[in-house]
Amino acid sequence: MATIKLKRAGVSSEMCEQLKRHRVESCKDLLSLSSVEVMHAAGLSYRRASELQRTVSRAVAPPVTTALELWSKHSCFSTSLPALDRLLRGGLPRGALTEVVGPSGCGKTQLCLMLSVLATLPKSHGGQDSAVIYIDTESAFSAERLVEIAQSRFPDHFGCKERVLQMAGRVHLYRELTCRHVLNRLERLEEDIISTGAGLVILDSVASVARKEFDTTLPGNLMRRNDMLGHEASTLKYLAHQFDIPVVLTNQVTTHVTGQGSAGDSALVTAALGTAWSHSVNTRLIVQYADARQRQMLIAKSPVAPRALLNYTVEKQGICMDGEESLEVLCEDTDPGLQPIRVQMEF
Amino acid sequence: MLGQLSWRLVPEEASSSRRMQRPLCSVSLSPAARTRLLSAGFQFTSDLLPLKPLQLSKEAGLTPLEALEVLQAVRRGEGGGGGGDGGGGGGLASLTALELLQKEEELKSIVTFSSQLDAALGGGVTVGRTTEICGAPGVGKTQLCLQLAVDVQVPPCFGGVGGQAVYIDTEGSFLLQRVVDIAAAAVRHCSLLAEDDEQRVAMTTFTVETILANIFLVRCHDYVELLAEIHLLPDFLSEHPKVRLLVIDSVAFPFRLHFDELSRRTRLLNGLAQQLIAMATGHSIAVLMTNQMTTRLLGGRSQQVPALGESWGHAPTIRILLHWAGSRRLAAIFKSPEHMGSTVQYQITSEGFRDVDQSERPPSKRPRTDADQSAESRGDASL
Repeated sequence: MATIKLKRAGVSSEMCEQLKRHRVESCKDLLSLSSVEVMHAAGLSYRRASELQRTVSRAVAPPVTTALELWSKHSCFSTSLPALDRLLRGGLPRGALTEVVGPSGCGKTQLCLMLSVLATLPKSHGGQDSAVIYIDTESAFSAERLVEIAQSRFPDHFGCKERVLQMAGRVHLYRELTCRHVLNRLERLEEDIISTGAGLVILDSVASVARKEFDTTLPGNLMRRNDMLGHEASTLKYLAHQFDIPVVLTNQVTTHVTGQGSAGDSALVTAALGTAWSHSVNTRLIVQYADARQRQMLIAKSPVAPRALLNYTVEKQGICMDGEESLEVLCEDTDPGLQPIRVQMEF
Repeated sequence: MLGQLSWRLVPEEASSSRRMQRPLCSVSLSPAARTRLLSAGFQFTSDLLPLKPLQLSKEAGLTPLEALEVLQAVRRGEGGGGGGDGGGGGGLASLTALELLQKEEELKSIVTFSSQLDAALGGGVTVGRTTEICGAPGVGKTQLCLQLAVDVQVPPCFGGVGGQAVYIDTEGSFLLQRVVDIAAAAVRHCSLLAEDDEQRVAMTTFTVETILANIFLVRCHDYVELLAEIHLLPDFLSEHPKVRLLVIDSVAFPFRLHFDELSRRTRLLNGLAQQLIAMATGHSIAVLMTNQMTTRLLGGRSQQVPALGESWGHAPTIRILLHWAGSRRLAAIFKSPEHMGSTVQYQITSEGFRDVDQSERPPSKRPRTDADQSAESRGDASL
């Protein structure tokens, strides 16, 4: 991500001048050239050009650690839902993107609000004792609901008003309503995370602005949309990794027509934003309707958890997964990009 | 018969007279030096050989240092470009196919713990070659990579390679808890197999901690960092000669964003592919890359094909496609110089990448978690 200038990388000034004439100024410019192009731009033999590339690479390359060194760091954010935490081996992974996808009204924003409350709790209560950055693109954030969840879920802790106000003060809300605004916000997010001391970033939702502004039936728009989404994904992954925080995103559903010619078109409801986006997220949780009252959460893609189905309801205190109905039923394996999602049938 | 079939790795060695007549533009010199030599009238390497550096520098208008480099390059007879630096001792000599056959038989393979996949690959993931794994999201590419990063460390007395692994993560999917599970399962598996003293001694150095310590992890956030790391890898591999596996998970993610000109991306990918092949053969490591899938419209129908374009398909020597067929996971080997394309079924369990158990109970292929096992022992009906 860094565009380090060549001079800082230890390249001699004459060489920097020489390369500037060919418009090669930063390490990124130099490493984007093939070996022959470097030889031509720098006027060096092959061996010397390789040495130059290695010198510049040393300035840019990330450090090499071993897996053992990672072991001492605690790397999960507990969701306070024991069944989910057990399957995810501790909770939502830090340094990775977790996506919650589902039809409207299923509880995605409720889950985000609940996670915001949890992040502000002190470590003794299972939280992270940190601020939360909540980027809202659908204007669905409700401060009253946030307070209600806090007071119902942890009545002893949030009994007194100051604690509630302090918690609410640590949730930083940014309303961004267009793609351009979302991207600008992500560019500035690094500074926001440092200044607020945030330990959780929530983007609710990724899909709404992308689908509003990109009509994918027009040629070229699909590529541009995927480009923008890829840019968002890599920025968020970089921040998640550098600050070692979890990032939660929400996504919508779309109807995917799997037409195979005359064999009969079947339409199924799946996660929006396409396969490229499915590759970009590290963990995908699908929320769907089991019937009018009961809802389910399906772990569709996770590096640690098997495919599992959990039942939950949305109550006053947020998401509830206790009770007899929270059996872990392991269901059929399918492609998470094509996993059919059940929408609300009765109203 | 094989002894008579000569495998020429470098064509210039055929006859000395042909070598003398090599034109100067095929020797790797800096462009400025080359133009000066050509304008001074030197056209072939044979013109330069009898000269000394000072004389050459006067005649061609080069500094003495440049003249010395030119003469060294000509005498060395370097080929133009390519992975000349990574070649081992035998890189420039000619081999017969018989010698190559003996060398190939010594090349070990890294077993994957899935015997069907190993059989289809001819023993496992071959050391000294580049292998690509492509597939839809969530199908198990990272799982296979994590499994192999553990499997490469299995001691030789158990049939493994006993080497270290370098894992370049560009997507952030390297989750430590999963590696710990896979490592613990591998250690359990091997300790059950330990029969003689040699194997028992080997088990003392094959624990979860040592497995984690032998996986070198690099997290790259964009293609610049990835290319920088690949430039520095040959030195790293020389300092750590026990590395036998390089995993890049994934090559596709950093190269699918921010590229306005696809031709630049193709050039960079080709350069990357050459460097990886040079490292694989020169340092005797297995290179494993994961790729994503993209949708391509073919005559009105959309099809999932491996990403990064047609030209990238030439880079890896062996290609494995992981895909779903209904509820089963299949691994299809669709490019391999030694074996026919074949498809095997696999599953991802809590212990890692495994064969589908033939004696499994019907309804579904349930991964066994510890919770299930204790539930079964209590007699609860959990399905």
